[in-house]
Amino acid sequence: MAQEQFTIGIDIGGTFTDIVLVSAAGTVHMSKAATTPADPSEGVFDALERGARQLHTDLRGLLGMTVRITHGSTVATNALLTRSGARVGLITTRGFEDTPFIMRAIGRVDGLSEEEVRHVAWLTKPEPLVRRSLVRGVTERIDVRGEIVVPLQMADVERAIVELIDEHHVEALGVCLLNAWANPVHEEHIRKVVEARHPADRLYSVYSHRLARVAGEYARMNTVLVDCFVGPRVHTYLRRLETELRRRGFEGRFLIMQGNGGLTTRELCTPVATLQSGPAGGMLAAAYMAGVLGHRRVLTTDMGGTSFDVGVYADGYWQYAEEPVFNRFRILQPTMDVESVGAGGGTIARVNPEVGRLQVGPESAGADPAPACYGRGGTEPTVTDADVALGIIDPNYFLGGAQRLDHERATAALQRVAVPLGMGPVEAADGIHRIINAKMADLIRRQMIRSGYLPEEFVLYAFGGAGPVHAAGFARDLGIKMIYVFPSSPVFSAFGIAAADVRHTRMMTCRYPLPVDPARLNEPLAALEDELSDVMKREGFAPGDVVLRRFASVRFRRQAVGVDVELPWARFDSRTVHDLIALFGRKYEELYGTGAGNVEVGVEVGALRVDAIGPVPKPTLRPRPPAAEPPAAKGRRALYLEGRFEEAPVFEWTHLHPGHRIGGPAVVESEFTTVLVPPGAAGALDEHGNLVLQLM
Amino acid sequence: MSAVSIAAQTLDPVRYEIFAHRLWVVGEEGRIALQRVSASPIVVQGGECMQSFYTPDGRMTLACSGHLRFAAATSDAIRKIVEWFGESPGFQDGDQIFFNDPFVAGSHTYDQMVIKPIFYDGRLVAWTASSSHTADTGGVLRGAATEIYHEGIRILGLKVVEGGVFRNDVCKTIVEQCRDPHYVELDLRSRIAGNNVSARRFLELLERFGPEFVEAACLKMIDDSARLARSKLRSLPDGTWTSRMYGMGIRSATPYEIVCRMTKRADELHFDLTGTSPQLSDDQNSTLPSSLAHIALALTNMLFWDVPWSDGKMEPVRVNIPEGTILNCRFPAACGGAPRVGQILVSAVFECVAKMLYAGGRHEDVNAGWQGLWYEGGPGFFYGGHTRDGIPVPQGLYDIHGGGFGANPLRDGVDSGGHANIPAGGISDVEIIELQYPLLYFTRSHTPNGPGYGTYRGGAGTHRVCLVYGSKDLSVNYRPYSGIPTGGFGLFGGYPVGGGGVRAAYRTDPGKIRARLAGGAYPTSPREVLDGGWGEVLHPPSGRNRLPLEEWWILSDFAQSGGGFGDPLERDPNAVARDVQNGIYTRWAAETFFGVVLDTRGEAEHQKTEARRRAGREERLRAARPVAETPPRADFAEGEVLHVPHAALEVVGGSAGAVWRCKRCRRSLGDARENYKHRALRRVERLDEVSEFPLPSKEPFSGEYHEYLCPGCGTLLQVDVYCPPVGGESVLWDIALKF
Repeated sequence: MAQEQFTIGIDIGGTFTDIVLVSAAGTVHMSKAATTPADPSEGVFDALERGARQLHTDLRGLLGMTVRITHGSTVATNALLTRSGARVGLITTRGFEDTPFIMRAIGRVDGLSEEEVRHVAWLTKPEPLVRRSLVRGVTERIDVRGEIVVPLQMADVERAIVELIDEHHVEALGVCLLNAWANPVHEEHIRKVVEARHPADRLYSVYSHRLARVAGEYARMNTVLVDCFVGPRVHTYLRRLETELRRRGFEGRFLIMQGNGGLTTRELCTPVATLQSGPAGGMLAAAYMAGVLGHRRVLTTDMGGTSFDVGVYADGYWQYAEEPVFNRFRILQPTMDVESVGAGGGTIARVNPEVGRLQVGPESAGADPAPACYGRGGTEPTVTDADVALGIIDPNYFLGGAQRLDHERATAALQRVAVPLGMGPVEAADGIHRIINAKMADLIRRQMIRSGYLPEEFVLYAFGGAGPVHAAGFARDLGIKMIYVFPSSPVFSAFGIAAADVRHTRMMTCRYPLPVDPARLNEPLAALEDELSDVMKREGFAPGDVVLRRFASVRFRRQAVGVDVELPWARFDSRTVHDLIALFGRKYEELYGTGAGNVEVGVEVGALRVDAIGPVPKPTLRPRPPAAEPPAAKGRRALYLEGRFEEAPVFEWTHLHPGHRIGGPAVVESEFTTVLVPPGAAGALDEHGNLVLQLM
Repeated sequence: MSAVSIAAQTLDPVRYEIFAHRLWVVGEEGRIALQRVSASPIVVQGGECMQSFYTPDGRMTLACSGHLRFAAATSDAIRKIVEWFGESPGFQDGDQIFFNDPFVAGSHTYDQMVIKPIFYDGRLVAWTASSSHTADTGGVLRGAATEIYHEGIRILGLKVVEGGVFRNDVCKTIVEQCRDPHYVELDLRSRIAGNNVSARRFLELLERFGPEFVEAACLKMIDDSARLARSKLRSLPDGTWTSRMYGMGIRSATPYEIVCRMTKRADELHFDLTGTSPQLSDDQNSTLPSSLAHIALALTNMLFWDVPWSDGKMEPVRVNIPEGTILNCRFPAACGGAPRVGQILVSAVFECVAKMLYAGGRHEDVNAGWQGLWYEGGPGFFYGGHTRDGIPVPQGLYDIHGGGFGANPLRDGVDSGGHANIPAGGISDVEIIELQYPLLYFTRSHTPNGPGYGTYRGGAGTHRVCLVYGSKDLSVNYRPYSGIPTGGFGLFGGYPVGGGGVRAAYRTDPGKIRARLAGGAYPTSPREVLDGGWGEVLHPPSGRNRLPLEEWWILSDFAQSGGGFGDPLERDPNAVARDVQNGIYTRWAAETFFGVVLDTRGEAEHQKTEARRRAGREERLRAARPVAETPPRADFAEGEVLHVPHAALEVVGGSAGAVWRCKRCRRSLGDARENYKHRALRRVERLDEVSEFPLPSKEPFSGEYHEYLCPGCGTLLQVDVYCPPVGGESVLWDIALKF
């Protein structure tokens, strides 16, 4: 035991703080503790202590054996959600002080659902992250080619700094000048003045070109503002947590998870980049498992109480969102494109009496009042109530029995929709179950079409508390044949975080019609790589150990959205510039069909991106021995499937072994997961203990 | 109920729900495909496109749309091509038909659609169509057309795909009529891609649900919308509401008017546009289909926002628009400016609906006007010419999609909220605009003194000052100044717009301006341009409808702002102080219109403000005159409150019948079956006196404000815009409840 070496993955979610302990030998332990929003590190230590007990040691013992702690947190997300961040000041180009309030007008609808957007007369913009009175304009103008039209007036800079910092005592200062993506020289001038007077350890300051060399001032300014708003809080939290861990005997590497799907050290961590680190962890876990299992195309679905997250991993890639929206603010950061839609166990069903429609969602009972069967005052029927009434979820074994569910309350709530439709409560529950499955199938499909893929070519990885109850239902609808549910799925994000590499991404807008002089593309590529090699050196990687991946965003002239093409060469020459056009043409047709585009109309490069990856050792999963005995059901219960109740066996997942096969209908359940194996489907445990559902 | 709709109403509710959501996603897939392929920023970022489905006889089942205008009239195009071409050449499986005749569907030739019949087992079972806005149709550049023949390609139905085969000959013939054929071709292909996806997936629905079910479910979708729309109408009080808006043509020197009379009885709504001006000889005309589309759009935003979009939504609505008016122009009138005319119509409908909703107590859904411009005219936003790299400049620059929204009874209007036509749209980043247009912005900010004054103010629109930069042949459309606010309205004493913003082109001295820029200065407001000697306003001789712009000239422009709600003298003084600090209003506006006195730090001085507001009400009463020939009697009304159709007035019932009463001073304003304005006082205000700037052309303003006041306490009850040269009924009867 003493020689064991552990990697610990930590993921703080909204409800639970999850950890996984992965040993060098490939064993995986997991534990959960309640998230403690006031000081999230409490929940972390709570979960760590529980984990230590599983290994029959204490916290100090565990930390002493730990070589690496990788951490994803919701500190940034929570600061944004609860609007408890820093007092922010902003310096921008004079004449553009209203940009964060104009919000490109689109800020009125960003981050809202279709249903919310329709209520136009009532909809307003979100409360801004900076007060208008704390914005200062400085005289300067740079054009899109990076040429200085109006030189920066240092007197304006002096005045702005004195007013914002000395008089208004801002806690964080953001600087975002127009076209700084094309030429950052004026932002750099300001940075030198600010840092000379207010060193980085005294004042948190952020400069737009250092976060994104990308055109589009609204999202770039938001990136600066969000980083300023959450930055001091995130850094304080991480510094304290690391100090605490060190104090208790941790001597390994402490790495922070980012929304781009990679790790970074605390010192190099950009707080805005930690948004979406939880969903990114789920995607990484999926990517890791896809590697182990040899799956080329994987669809990930994470269904919880209120939300349903969908992600796509195809041919070794995940996608980055164009301008991801966080709590109604669109930003520019390479962030995994995991779309969240409002559908979960808490989704409410209602009947519209005027037209007799049974509408499931978009309203959710959430955690308060929660589904009716929780007995916390909810009276409207929800998806979870339906699942209980159908017999799929055992009311006495929810969260391993920690949360008793009330079957009668569920039935009473279901009557509210059953009676007006002239149905029985179970029939209504079945309707709700089928409708939510169909809607999720629809939303998955819409999300995949946006990325240009067809769902039937994918294997589904289902995780999240409510996911495996519904996975077979929506997968079948999408034409998907195979579903994987993992034993680690209750802590899947933490598992992915433990399996992550160090990763930094840099992107730069550069608009050139193709073919172009290769030097025009090579210059920015080299600049991005220089910056990255410096960062990776500071992350502790020798140049030879860093993997670089280069991408060009290519599109037809005038198109607004580009297609990312990975470059199979490090630098362009006159031949490869032409090859890029052909690569784009092929990828475009692959995504949008033959004849959708026509390269004769002119093709342009819109942006270049380089990913630098510093590999971190991965856990190797050790196969488990096959079963000696056939699987034994722990009991039977009546499931309402295909229009009638039918007795079906119920299996305890932890008692199943590789090689065990289970024919549907059946239920496989564990403390945190219930898996429905529907009629016509077959379940099997593979050598890693994964439950594989085969749909006919 | 017909036999069909009985079948529709007895469908299995679970399968129906699954079908309805799936059909929506199928349309969304088509729309996504369209947006991915399109080259048009206004389609991709602005969301100006639609994918929709129709019954075999051309009734719309469902629209998936970012742009509400498109959703309204495509049904007519389908019915028309069937009528015209159903026999010859007929329609076969795999055909796709290009269409852009605004006299049948759409607003102007830029609204283009591709229509595809869907066959199942050899039988026509549905239609799908994709529509989007393509800013280049050839023809003359914007502003010069006097007949539709000038407005480029107008295709009444051509198969661009025939039996599944793309017709290069048709495509090339269409796109080569345009200045930027590559761009037009990508847009055309994007619509085909949208149809391909949605038709293929619709066939899967037929396979899964069966043709009988699909047919019945589509009919139920139409029927459901009609039921929901009627149910909403039943929940609101009966009455007649009337509004009047002004707009401006290109050639005539006087504004036009739109008069909208909306009558609601039980579960039906009737619009009568009689009294609207005759059609114009330029392109500021709207065809009947375009006008119907805009009425549908207005109702969708404000009244039927929670009703699914099918043709059923408009089933309880009747519209009467006399032929030969600006809203029902006769062929071959030019109609390129139909969306602007349509926006003014939308405002006219909004005003009637807002007052009806207020009377019905649905205060959260009440908005004052969204489309108010202090004046129209001057340089527009349709450009021509080439960039530094020799690429054609995209024509429209849609900063107008960043307009302010109207105030609500409970809060201010949304600053830079967007545009009525495109609820989920927005404006482009300045950095993106500068990559595409030969312009360099000096500012984009909220228009000072732009929004309408009120207890709750309107939302501020945005304004810009920019430099012509890097083009040798840029030009822009140009028209005479209207000298009157257009398209806006305030509610119950709020003003339709503020008096700020300047739309003008300024001639500069290129050598001098370059030296000043290099020396570290640039103007960020029209006042700085004028007072700082940057340039002088250029007002070309009348009759010029395109203005050549030389490099280093300056342009200033402003987008529409929202109207105010309630008497501005009731606005929280601290809110006014904050507005001044945030650059929404100047001190001048704070004092003049809100009666708020600010101290040197910009905080409100409450006692001085109180005194100033008292004096303001007295001054109003002194300047006002009775509307009726016999001055109103000073009687006070008692009785039970029967209705509250106005924020400052209520209807009370007593022995003398129902009468209007001022909420503040209980003064009676006469029989509730009559126009309260006849018992009010009226102050006529010249617009020159309330404008921050003169008209750039130095012409006098042509309009005036008619401010109606409670004769007892001087509370402002209503601000009407009136244009004496246009004439018409001067005391508009805006609220006529039916008892």
